[in-house]
Amino acid sequence: MAETSVIGAGTVVSGHIRGEGSLEILGRVEGDISVTGSVAIGPAGRVRGNVSASQLTVAGQVQGDLHGSLAVLLEPGARVAGDISAPRVGIAPGALARGHVQTDAEPAALARPAAQPFVRPAPQPVARPAQQPAVRPQQPAVRPDPQPAARPAVPQPAARPAAPLRANVPPPKAEPIPPAPLASPPAPKAPPPRPELRSDLRKADAPKLAPAPATSGPGSGEFAPVRPLKPEPRRPPPPVVPVIRKGTKAKKKKSHD
Amino acid sequence: MAGTVIGAGLTIEGDISGEEEIVINGILRGRLTTTDAVTVGGSAVVGADITGASLSVAGQVTGDVTATERVDIQAGGKLVGDIKAARFTIADGASFKGNVDMEV
Repeated sequence: MAETSVIGAGTVVSGHIRGEGSLEILGRVEGDISVTGSVAIGPAGRVRGNVSASQLTVAGQVQGDLHGSLAVLLEPGARVAGDISAPRVGIAPGALARGHVQTDAEPAALARPAAQPFVRPAPQPVARPAQQPAVRPQQPAVRPDPQPAARPAVPQPAARPAAPLRANVPPPKAEPIPPAPLASPPAPKAPPPRPELRSDLRKADAPKLAPAPATSGPGSGEFAPVRPLKPEPRRPPPPVVPVIRKGTKAKKKKSHD
Repeated sequence: MAGTVIGAGLTIEGDISGEEEIVINGILRGRLTTTDAVTVGGSAVVGADITGASLSVAGQVTGDVTATERVDIQAGGKLVGDIKAARFTIADGASFKGNVDMEV
């Protein structure tokens, strides 16, 4: 049943191709391709559309996204303008690619951030039983990275924990946006060391933590600037906008003439 | 070997045009235009107007056919549509419904 289909060099298909089996494209296809087998796009092959297959080998030109459930291979001479995603992506020297390349299955990437919240809340309730509102868990979860490092060197436990507590009051406004991006990067490293470190430190700090909110009134002004600093480094830098738009030079010249 | 082969299990929704032989064993909906021979295999289901040098039908075709040379409907083949071709044969056991124009 899994017969290999061929789009010959002198053939143009304008429409969608889907189904089972493998496909060899030596001609032109304008439309999306989705097959269960492998797809090979020959040196003279041209595809304008998204291609989805198990194994995808490209030696020709593709304008569209490539997705391989097993692999995507760009052979020398291949030209691809579009996103590439597959567990394995090979781009040979001489191949040309323009677009986003992801060498990981997308479902796995999505599953990872979802798993983090589960890891996080566990240690928190132990450390601070009474004080946490529901929003809380994310805030301290992000923090521990700088904390454990700073603690041993600078013995100011009263000042440090105060920041998280104070942050506790306004966070509902500030947090909803950053938590997701903040949470993802530290996840792999953070969880293992934290539970022990935290619970130990927490117990020691606990008495100091309690008075913190009361004393924090005057101190809050000093620490306030700390908060905005934290989300900043994790955000991607703002996009660089070209000062001169395309064509403005030409227009200027024209106007001078 | 034929220039273009649409295997069984493959579905194309759209137009196919070319200058070489085309063999269809899968499903095609749209239009098919070539300057060479067209073969519709036994497992094929074609809902398309077909233009070519010659056409051989062993599967199912629904659509008008224009051939510069000939049209042959094999035993077991089924064609519903108008045919315009210089030569036209229907094998015993084939089914056909439509008008025939052999004045090319």
